[in-house]
Amino acid sequence: MTETIELALKTLEAQLNQPLETALEACARCGLCAESCHYYRAEPKVKHIPAFRAERLRSVYRYEHDFLSRLFPVWTGAKKLDEPTLASLTEIAFSQCTLCRRCTVNCPLGVDTPLMMRAIRAVTTASGTAPEILVMLADAAIEKGKDPSFFKDMFLEQIAEMEEQLRDITGDPTATIPVEKQGAKILYVPLAGAHTILPPAAVFNVAKEDWTLSIFEAANYGVFLADVNRAKQVAKRIVDEANRLGVKEIVIAECGHAYASYRWDVPNWFAGQFDFKVRSLIEVLADYIRDGKIKVDPTAIPEGVTYHDSCNLARNGGLIEEPRYVLKNVVRDFREMTPNRDQAICCGGGGGLVALAEYAERRIAAGKPKAEQIKQTGARIVVAACENCRLQIGDLNERYKLNVQITAITDLVVRAMRLPKPLPGHEAERLFEGEEAAVVRE
Amino acid sequence: MVFFQLLALAGFLAGLYGIYIRYAQTKARAFPADKSPLKGNPSHGIAYAFTKGMMPWAKESTRLHMIAYLRGIGFHIGIFTAIGALIISPFWTLLPSLLSLTLGWALTLGAILGAAGGLMRIVEHNLRGLSIPDDHFAVWLVTVWMAVSAAAVWDEAWMAAYYILSAITMAYVPLGKIRHCLYFFFSRVFFGKFFGRRAVYPHPDVAK
Amino acid sequence: MSDAKLSLDFKGLLCPMPVVKLAQAIKQIQVGEILEAIATDPGVMADIPAWTRSTGHELVSLDKREDKTFKFVVKRLK
Repeated sequence: MTETIELALKTLEAQLNQPLETALEACARCGLCAESCHYYRAEPKVKHIPAFRAERLRSVYRYEHDFLSRLFPVWTGAKKLDEPTLASLTEIAFSQCTLCRRCTVNCPLGVDTPLMMRAIRAVTTASGTAPEILVMLADAAIEKGKDPSFFKDMFLEQIAEMEEQLRDITGDPTATIPVEKQGAKILYVPLAGAHTILPPAAVFNVAKEDWTLSIFEAANYGVFLADVNRAKQVAKRIVDEANRLGVKEIVIAECGHAYASYRWDVPNWFAGQFDFKVRSLIEVLADYIRDGKIKVDPTAIPEGVTYHDSCNLARNGGLIEEPRYVLKNVVRDFREMTPNRDQAICCGGGGGLVALAEYAERRIAAGKPKAEQIKQTGARIVVAACENCRLQIGDLNERYKLNVQITAITDLVVRAMRLPKPLPGHEAERLFEGEEAAVVRE
Repeated sequence: MVFFQLLALAGFLAGLYGIYIRYAQTKARAFPADKSPLKGNPSHGIAYAFTKGMMPWAKESTRLHMIAYLRGIGFHIGIFTAIGALIISPFWTLLPSLLSLTLGWALTLGAILGAAGGLMRIVEHNLRGLSIPDDHFAVWLVTVWMAVSAAAVWDEAWMAAYYILSAITMAYVPLGKIRHCLYFFFSRVFFGKFFGRRAVYPHPDVAK
Repeated sequence: MSDAKLSLDFKGLLCPMPVVKLAQAIKQIQVGEILEAIATDPGVMADIPAWTRSTGHELVSLDKREDKTFKFVVKRLK
C-alpha cells in the first residue's frame, strides 16, 4: 500500500461518524434520485445518478468494513482502494457533484450523498490529490490572515476611493465605509472586489446602521476542499476580527457557501469563542424594508425578474422566503422558476466548481437544466444571491443565449431606493421607463 | 416441526443480534453535536421526515416515479407483515379463516410486488446499472420467502420449507443490503435534524 | 518595452478568477521567467500578493494605473 493510499484510508476512517456511516449504509439503490441531479438531467446516463457516484465510495468502505465484502468482494461490489480508484473518486467529487443536496431531499431514505462527496474531498485533500487551485486559494486566504499588513494599506486606499463613489451615489457627503470600527454593531464581510462593498455600503448608510467593513473576504475555499483545518484557519480571521472589534453580529455578503458555513458550521468550529449572531445581508435587507429603515419603490424595476435559489442559501441554509420578501418589495414583475425553494435545481456552479477551469465544459453542460428553467420564466433579470451562482449563470447566459442580466439582490434594492446616482455598471438601467426624468424632477 | 421452528427462531435471533451489533457499532461512532443557533426545530424536522416527508406527493422523485415508489412501499409493507406472520406462526391455526385468508393474500401481494422489483432491476437500464449482485439476491430472497410464507399460511405442507427459508432470510438481514432497514431510521432522523434546524422542513406552506 | 514572457488580460474577471487564471498561466512559463497581467477587480490588490506569498513565486510589481486598472508582474520561482 502506497503512502497516499494509506493516508487516504486513514482520513476516511477518521471521518467515519454516525451520519457518514449511515449515508454509506442506507442506500437501497432504488434509482429514484436520478432526475434530482442536474448532471443526470443534462445527460441521462447511469454514471450521473447520485447513487451510482456514491457507490464508488461505498465500494471502498465496504472493502474495509464489511464482513461479507471481505469474503466475497464481487458480491457487494467491494473494491480495495488503489491509485486509479482514488483518482476517479477525486474526479467524481470535484467535477460531478456540486454538493447541492437535491438528491438527499428527493431520496426516500434521505441519504446524504453530498456528505459522502465531502468525505471524498477530505480524503483527496489530505492525500494530496485534490485540485491544486482550491488548495492555492485556501492557502492564499490563510496567508492574508497571518499578516494583513502586506495588503492593508492598499485596501484602505481603495476603500477611500470607494467612499468617494459612495458619497456621489447616495448624495450624502458624510457617507462612510468604516473599517475596523471598534464596538460597531455589525461586521459586514464582503467578497473581494467593489461589487459586494459599494451596494451594501449605500444601504447601510441610508439605514444609518452602525457597521464596519471586514478587511477579509467571506469566501472560504477550505470549505470546498472539505478540509476543516484549512477552513477553520480561513474563518478564524473573521472570528478574530469580530472578537477584536467587539461586534454584535457578522453579516455575510451575498455568498452561498460563506453564509452556510458561517451560519451553520463556524459556530461549531469555534464553540466558546463565538458570541455573535450570523446573518446574511439578505436578512438585514428584509428587516430594513420591514422596519422602514430604507424606502424602496416597488415600481422601480419594471423588467421581469426571476430568482435563483442558491443551494447553500436555500436547501442547505434555510434562507428561502427572505430573498423573496425583499424582491417582491422592489420589483414589479416577479416570476418564480419551477421547481424552486427546497426543490430548486442547482445552477451547476456550486461546490467550488466555478474555480476549476479543467472542468468548465462539464460544469456548463450540467447547467443546461437551469438555463432551461430561466428561459421558461421569460424574465429579463436573473437574481442570484451567491457569487458562484452568478458566475455560473453568466456562463450559461453566454452558452445558452439566455439574453438576461444577472444581478445580486442588493443591487436591485439600491436601484429601488432611487438614490441620486446609480451604482457603477447600472447606469443604463436608469433610462428604463422614464426613470431618468423622474430623478431629475425629484 | 419443532426442529424447524427452532431453526427459524435461531435464524431470527441471529438476524436480530446482527442488527443489534450493527446498531451498537454505528452508535459507538462519533455524533457531531450541532451548536449552531436554531432557525427551525429539529424535532419537527424529524417528525416531518417520518410522516409528511414520506408521502408520495412530497418529493419530485416520488411524484415522477409514483408507481415504482408505491410498489416499493407495498413491498416493504409485505415484508413487515411477513415478519409479523413469522412471529405468530406457531399460532396460525388459531387465526379466524378470514384473517388467515387476508394474511395469505397480503403476503402474496408482497411477493408479487417483490418480483416486480426484482424484474425491474434486471430489465430497467438505470436500475441494472446501479445494482450489485447483493441487490438482486436480496430482493429475490425476500420475494421467495414471502411467497413461501403465503403458501405455508394456506397449506401446512409448506411449513418445513417456510421455516428453513425464514431462518436463511432472517440470518441474512444484517449481512447484506437488507440491513438498510436499520439505517433507514438513522438516515431519516439525521435528515430531519439537519433540515429541521434550518427550517427547510417542515417549511411554512407557501404557494410554490 | 516589457520583458514578460506572457501578457494576460483579466479585465472584467471577478474574484477568484484572476488568481485561477494566473495559477494556470504560471505553468506556461519557465522558472525565472515573468508574466504580466491587467485586471479590473480591485480584489487582486490583496489576492495576488497573498497568492505569491503562499505559492512561493515573486510579485515583481503591482500597480494601480491611471485608467483604474491594476497591473501586476509575477516571476515564476519554482
